[in-house]
Amino acid sequence: MRKLAWSLVVIVAVAVAGCAQEQKSNGYDPSLKVYRHAMDQAPSSIDPVQASNVYANHVVLNAYDTLYAFKYLARPYEVKPNLAVDFPEISEDLLTYRIKIKEGVHFIDDPAFPGGVGREVVAEDFVYSIKRHFDPKMRGQGAWLWQGRIVDLDEWKARGADYDDPVEGLRAADRYTIEIRLNKPYPQLTFTLTMGYAALVPREAVEKYGLEMSSRPVGSGPFKVVSYDTSKIVFRKNEKFRQEPVDIWYEGYNPETQGFSGVEAIQGRSPPFLDILEIDFIAESAARWNSFTKDNEVQYTGVPNEQVDNILLSKHPVTLKPEYAEKYFMYAGVEAGFVFQAFNLDFPEFGYNEDPERARRNKLLRCAVIKGFDWAKRNESFYSDIGVVFPGIIPPAVPEYDPDLPRWSVERDVDEARQLLAEGGWNADNLPELVYGTTSSVTSRQFFEQFRGWMKKIGYPSEKVKIKQFATFGDISKAWKNSTLPFVAKGWGLDFPDAENTLQLFYGPNGSPGSNDANYRNPEYDRLYEETSVMLPSPERTALYQTMNKMVIDDCVAITGLSRTRIMLWHKDVIAIPDREIVGGFFLKYVDVDRTGKADAGGSGT
Amino acid sequence: METFQYAIRKLIGGIPLVLGVTFISFLLMVYFGPDKTYELLGKNPTEEQIAEIRHELGYDKPFLVRYGDYLKQMVTLDFGSSDSTGEPVSKILARTVPISLALITPGFILGNVLGIILALIAAYHRSGFIDKFIMGFAVVGMSISFLIVVIAFQIIFSSSYGLNAFPVRGWNASSFIEYLRYITVPTLSTVFVALGYNTRFYRAVLVEEMTRDHVRTAKAFGTRPGKLLYKNILKNSLIPIITRIMFSIPLVIVSGSLIIESYFGIPGIGKVTFDAITTGDQPVLKAVVGLTAVLFVLTLLLTDILYRVVDPRVSLK
Repeated sequence: MRKLAWSLVVIVAVAVAGCAQEQKSNGYDPSLKVYRHAMDQAPSSIDPVQASNVYANHVVLNAYDTLYAFKYLARPYEVKPNLAVDFPEISEDLLTYRIKIKEGVHFIDDPAFPGGVGREVVAEDFVYSIKRHFDPKMRGQGAWLWQGRIVDLDEWKARGADYDDPVEGLRAADRYTIEIRLNKPYPQLTFTLTMGYAALVPREAVEKYGLEMSSRPVGSGPFKVVSYDTSKIVFRKNEKFRQEPVDIWYEGYNPETQGFSGVEAIQGRSPPFLDILEIDFIAESAARWNSFTKDNEVQYTGVPNEQVDNILLSKHPVTLKPEYAEKYFMYAGVEAGFVFQAFNLDFPEFGYNEDPERARRNKLLRCAVIKGFDWAKRNESFYSDIGVVFPGIIPPAVPEYDPDLPRWSVERDVDEARQLLAEGGWNADNLPELVYGTTSSVTSRQFFEQFRGWMKKIGYPSEKVKIKQFATFGDISKAWKNSTLPFVAKGWGLDFPDAENTLQLFYGPNGSPGSNDANYRNPEYDRLYEETSVMLPSPERTALYQTMNKMVIDDCVAITGLSRTRIMLWHKDVIAIPDREIVGGFFLKYVDVDRTGKADAGGSGT
Repeated sequence: METFQYAIRKLIGGIPLVLGVTFISFLLMVYFGPDKTYELLGKNPTEEQIAEIRHELGYDKPFLVRYGDYLKQMVTLDFGSSDSTGEPVSKILARTVPISLALITPGFILGNVLGIILALIAAYHRSGFIDKFIMGFAVVGMSISFLIVVIAFQIIFSSSYGLNAFPVRGWNASSFIEYLRYITVPTLSTVFVALGYNTRFYRAVLVEEMTRDHVRTAKAFGTRPGKLLYKNILKNSLIPIITRIMFSIPLVIVSGSLIIESYFGIPGIGKVTFDAITTGDQPVLKAVVGLTAVLFVLTLLLTDILYRVVDPRVSLK
């Protein structure tokens, strides 16, 4: 017994001694510049063809190259050439794009290449990478971006997806020039080329690793992956990455709002600045917070909801309590996306009905539910009262957002809701059963109970507002795609800063199994969508977007919306302006670490 | 020779068990598990794309054909590639199972050894203060949720709000010292919770043994407490103790510990299994379920042989 006790004492002593050493080195060689980022979820795949979310993009955009990228600091977001030499040369009819890529860029060294030495990146790699999305064997998720848009690409798939079979509208004009020919103008094309989906992948690697590309990146990005598992990914600097000094002014630097971060220190230097980039995937917010506040583990965290009241001095504007402001930098920004609920209009109980009178009553019912929904309370209860509530489906993150839109659809009025029900002849007996579909989590259940409470207030019997829970996101997604849920509650993250990305959510031909889960079919809306889909950004297009937005509001299709405000904290030795919106992760190559211990400008930004 | 024949008989007898477990679990996976198709779809899919993915995943094959494929995979130990990561399942297992083993083994051993020691002490002092104290401690360990213990221990031992002495999360087994640093808090959490259950169970077993005639006789002959506890009580109680320990092993090896792995950021099999269940990653699930069934059969066999070792009266016929 005594021996056992001594053994335990020795083990603990040795471990504590080891810790003291680790405090200094952060687990890595102290001579290396290391930045440990944290995210709340791990990507399931890091193959560009499956870069469907912000988690995957954080990896893909740092391991691979894209033709275009978002400027590091510019808000609203602006696109800039990345691997491309310049912006595309676009023909007069807006149908042909010619893009020159930089010469002398190489893939990382990998056994997939002859001799294990990464070869030069060429235009053909882009052609190959886009084709992959149309090859069913690749299980790609990005085909929707280019489907029906590029001449002959869909036909290429129909012909059997043979990579040696050329695609008329997608080709390498020469070693460094890409030519894309479109079926009709696609103003968002350049945006799509910033996404992880459009990253350049070498054919040799895909042929060697097959499906294993999902966990084994071979790219030409600023970093190369050293290890990847469910808990973290570790990158090393890609020593072969091209030397391109940063001009922070070109990147959109704003000294007033971003000066606190010390990013001026990277002016004129070539990224990446880190030797090691580690991204820890920490789903549990308590563990993430403990790791962040420990000072020698992760150096960045999004602030979990349960910590907001603890760390903030004020919410409007968002400011940190002094004890936190002293230790951390903070940036608060509205997300590029929003949360909303929509009626599935394919259900005749709420939506389209062959009987015009019933269709009229259904609309009044939907409007009553919208009027009974309390966005202010939802914001206060679940989003720390710092989210931005807005009417319609054009969120604040896009340039087409209209802050002056009437707020009828987002302001609760119980009396008016009751009046609308009465006007439609609805009462407790004849109101249809409203099934609220959600994933099975505590928060989702709380959302539902709050919703049911509000409905009760407007006269919707509680027993008629029911919940249907799904074990996983895949399960609820199946229900949406098969149009088996009358009421859809979901969030949407913008793929690019253009309202087209949210307006397509209500475009008729995108109905189930497409992205229009509401199955909204308004011929005028569809006509305007098609008209705007070929227009370049302009005041005319914005006006049409806003008309479409108003249609969705007036037809009482959706209870919308709220854009969450994200608060990000990072250690003061980190020189960065973090961001996880739009494609996410593009800022990581600019992150630097100040090892002099002098970085303490204090402050924060919003 | 008798043992060898018994082992062969037992292994053959285990085949229906493996078939039954794999058939039922595969049935549940296919008809009630998450549909991976919808995880793999793009944002604006068409009917055609849904059908393509179902084809790629093999969902369009008849059930029995798919089950036949599964059995073939079991025999060849080639479970294909994960539907999520594309990584070969064999690689995933080879990477994660050793980590889970390294993570859980110290806690498993300590939890059982300390549980037996405390149970012996409690049983010897039955109904006395020491017994009540130990049992009170055991009840506390059993009553507090494992999740709460993990969070509390992480705060106490690892965070800046506590001792700040160990890493909050991560895994590094590059040296023994590193291994100790990363293993200590997860092990303490595991032991704290397991100790309660183990002590209570082992005490019940030992108390029952203490009431036997041979123990009373030994006491009457003035046998020393240490010898009495070890030779007369513990050795004669080994059958239920071995049963409990042995049947925990397959779960320790294959299932890992989801909570520990998630909270401490340890890339073991527990997290991989959980992700596979929630996302419907059938190749991984098939491997985990199949291997667990096989391990149970092997454990049954080994347990029977151990019974014989500790009690020669047990027949292997």
